[in-house]
Amino acid sequence: MDAELLELQRQFEAAQLAKSSVRLSERNVVELVGKLQELHFIDFDLLHTISGKEYITTEQLRSEIVAEISKSGRVSLVDLSEIVGVDLFHVERQIQHIVSNDSRLMLTNGEIISEFYWDGVAEEINEKLQECSHISLAELASQFLVSAEIIVSVLERRLGSIIKGQLEGGQLYTPAYISRITQMVRGACRGITIPTNLSTVWNSLQLLLHDDGGSNVMHIENTLIQSIFNSLVNDGEILGSLRAGVQWTPAVFSHVQKESVGAFYSQNSYIGYDALHKLAIAQPKQYLQARYPDGIALENIFVHPSIVKMLDVAIEDAIDHENWISYFPFYPNVSGQSLEGSLLYTIVILEAFAACGFAPTLVVLVASNERVDCQSLLPIYIVNQDVSKILSYCPSVERSVKSSNAVVLGESFIFSSKYIKDLSDLVEKEMNVLSFTSLGGHRPARSLADESKLESSSFEKSEIKETVDDGSSRKNVPEKGSKKKKGKHAGSAKVEHSENNSNFLENVPTKGKRNLRKSKDTSSTDAKNSSKVKDPGLNVPFDEWIAEKIMAVSSDLRELGGGDDPNTILSALSAHLRPTLQESLQKRRSIMLQENYKRRRQMLDILQKQLDEVFLDLQLYEKSLELFEDDPSTSVVLQKHLLKTLAAPIVDKLIQTLVMDNQLRNGFGAEDIDNLENEKFISGNRASLVKSLPNSLSVKAQAVVEALEGKRVETFMTALKALAEESGLMLKKLDKKIERTLLHSYRKDIMSQVSSEMDPVLLLPKIVALVYLQVFGKALQAPGRAISAAISRLKDKLPEEAFNALIDYHSSIVTLLALQSAATEDDEDCTSDRILSQKEHLDSKLPELKSLFLKTISA
Amino acid sequence: MEEWDSTTKSALTQIPLLSTRAGPRDGAAWMQRLKEEYRALIAYTSINKSNDNDWFRISAANPEGTRWTGSCWYVHNLRRYEFLLQFDIPVTYPATAPEIELPELDGKTQKMYRGGKICLTVHFKPLWAKNSPRFGIAHALCLGLAPWLAAEVPILVDSGMVKHKDDEASTAES
Repeated sequence: MDAELLELQRQFEAAQLAKSSVRLSERNVVELVGKLQELHFIDFDLLHTISGKEYITTEQLRSEIVAEISKSGRVSLVDLSEIVGVDLFHVERQIQHIVSNDSRLMLTNGEIISEFYWDGVAEEINEKLQECSHISLAELASQFLVSAEIIVSVLERRLGSIIKGQLEGGQLYTPAYISRITQMVRGACRGITIPTNLSTVWNSLQLLLHDDGGSNVMHIENTLIQSIFNSLVNDGEILGSLRAGVQWTPAVFSHVQKESVGAFYSQNSYIGYDALHKLAIAQPKQYLQARYPDGIALENIFVHPSIVKMLDVAIEDAIDHENWISYFPFYPNVSGQSLEGSLLYTIVILEAFAACGFAPTLVVLVASNERVDCQSLLPIYIVNQDVSKILSYCPSVERSVKSSNAVVLGESFIFSSKYIKDLSDLVEKEMNVLSFTSLGGHRPARSLADESKLESSSFEKSEIKETVDDGSSRKNVPEKGSKKKKGKHAGSAKVEHSENNSNFLENVPTKGKRNLRKSKDTSSTDAKNSSKVKDPGLNVPFDEWIAEKIMAVSSDLRELGGGDDPNTILSALSAHLRPTLQESLQKRRSIMLQENYKRRRQMLDILQKQLDEVFLDLQLYEKSLELFEDDPSTSVVLQKHLLKTLAAPIVDKLIQTLVMDNQLRNGFGAEDIDNLENEKFISGNRASLVKSLPNSLSVKAQAVVEALEGKRVETFMTALKALAEESGLMLKKLDKKIERTLLHSYRKDIMSQVSSEMDPVLLLPKIVALVYLQVFGKALQAPGRAISAAISRLKDKLPEEAFNALIDYHSSIVTLLALQSAATEDDEDCTSDRILSQKEHLDSKLPELKSLFLKTISA
Repeated sequence: MEEWDSTTKSALTQIPLLSTRAGPRDGAAWMQRLKEEYRALIAYTSINKSNDNDWFRISAANPEGTRWTGSCWYVHNLRRYEFLLQFDIPVTYPATAPEIELPELDGKTQKMYRGGKICLTVHFKPLWAKNSPRFGIAHALCLGLAPWLAAEVPILVDSGMVKHKDDEASTAES
């Protein structure tokens, strides 16, 4: 038995003998504690842990909480209640107690945070800030899991001490960074010379920052830049004004703006709003009114009262002195050529040439005979309503309008009533001329004279044209143009003078004729015009026409209208003139219509007479054709001959007359009536004339023309009858009595012809006709080719000798003609001799034959 | 070990395990084993004491430590019932568990062999066999006798088979 065993035995003994510790069950303890509380042995709050196995006093709880807080400086209540093992309710109560007692602790969002924790955080932030130069609070808040407000309140206390930086708009910045941004902002703002939206500037700045800072640089808050900017403005480091918080207008810009407006206004006494718009002044009218309270604000322009005064004086002067004043931007020295002479016109015309960018002054032109006085008055871009407005400022205008010295037309034209009157007289005269010619009345003697002077007038025209061209070229280079014009004045002074001094009325018809001619060329429009004139039955001259006339009468007005819209003034004028012109024209037109009517009647009468005559003849001859009905070839030849010789002229006449009549009825003159009579129509000509007739007539007439081309006299007769019916003409039927008288006269006629006829060739058909008349009692018109057939038909009807003589004569004529036709081809040989001998032979026979037939017939 | 209650279990796990595989006839090895038995017993006793669960007294009845005697008690209805306790270390120990005897209760309960040897639960033997040689006397007491007492004494007392000494005395007096 070793010692160790013994020792163990002893130990075991001791262990068994040791006093065992006394333990109470939990239930007992709870009961005991309850009993103690009941007996007020424990007179303080006794809490128990969540597990329910421990009692804890509030002091202990508090000390545990404090210990826990002091461990990390920041504990959430939930965590705390878990750590100390006490219900959250008690923990919260104790926490409130603790926080209220300790100013270095704060309770936010279920967390207790102590000051020293914040100190640590601040130091951490500072470190990071020095690294990145700026941090957003939102980032910090999310990093430390606290609200931004708390972090702001916490950081604000430590700014400058622990945190070396600056808090701007939710961002922390280091002073170095701030100063860098400040430099950039200052640079940018000093660099801006025009009004700029600040946000665009900030955006470009940020872009710049991004570029040098790399992609990880945060978006800088515009508020920071704004605040920097504001401080810069307040410090006077950058000059300018801020509108609506974003629109930065640098001082240098507004200075320049003001200066340039002032300079322009003081130099020109006016300034256009668009110019101000270009200078970026949004409300030019108000701006100018505020700055120059004595100025006058028009629609598009702001003028100094001196302009109005000047204008007023000019107008007054013009009206008073009966001068002719026009506002001419482009042609300062186009004088009223056609208006010169004895008349002195007073016109005040204000014109606006809004569209033209150059030649910025409107020029008042005072033109008495030679004197040209230019005065720069109104800026070019005064538009119409402004002109009328500015005119309303002129007392002289008002006065003269009241006293009916002047008429304001359109918006911007002032005409003296005298000028208007003169103008209307001129146009009326012009109109008379036109009416006469167009209605085909007798030509004014003057216009014939004009015709002869065509050359000179055309020269004049070209002259006018030249001036116009000159003017238009001057448009671009006013100075040069005027110089040129001056030279021209000097050079061609003589010509112009002679023209200008020559009867001024002479110009009128010429131009009128030109217009007329032009209008004739454009027949379609003319037709329209004429119908327009005719249809309402009013004979109203329409505005365009009047405008054209006015333009023709006074070319200066046209040039006035030059650049922009030549019709404004003209239409205004014409509208003004129209009523008086209408009246006179109406009067004139009724006279003309009467004349026309008379002429038509006359013409138709003549036609009727001629038609009757020829038609009777035709019928007469037609009868003789019956003789040849059994001989078709001869009949055809005869019919053709008849149509050609007799029918063609009458048809031509008829058609011409009808066409002319038509023209007259339509109100314009067929001036070439005389010429037409002499002309020979070819079939194409006829057809084209026929086409110009009104529709129904045209169809009939066409049928007649076609029948004329054909071979049947009968068809022609029916067609002619139809045409005559359509055109309202009468065709007399041939009756016995008329036939007899006709035949008688015809016979007499032929006999006298035969007896007087000396040409043997021509004698033959006449003799044949005479014989036919004698034998058959019918008139025959036979061409040469049909003669032989006609003669052969006479065989049984004539005495032998007469017949033989006739045949003989005929054959010798035939040989003569054959020889003659051959002789044209062959040169000098025996033929000529033979012709001569044949002729002699015939001549010798001629009296014989004559006497023979005259005898037989008279017998 | 789920069939034992929680206190038994916790106690059992706290008893140090033994390592020497030796029976009473193994001489020095048995001595070694005996020492380990003592250490385990000491630990178990101290555990019991600290838990206010002291319930037995034993000591070796011979120097070889093959026979042990002592007493054990159980508190029921605030009365302490104490019984004599004895057992021998079997020759095949530690493969065979010692048979604990409560001679006073011989013939008083069915859960007992002749001679006062307690009947252990069906679980004891397999557990012992599994843990041989790590289990020793302390384990046998903890696993075998303690649950037996807890199960049998209340029945015996209620059935009147066992009477408290005071009652016996009073009945004897009366």
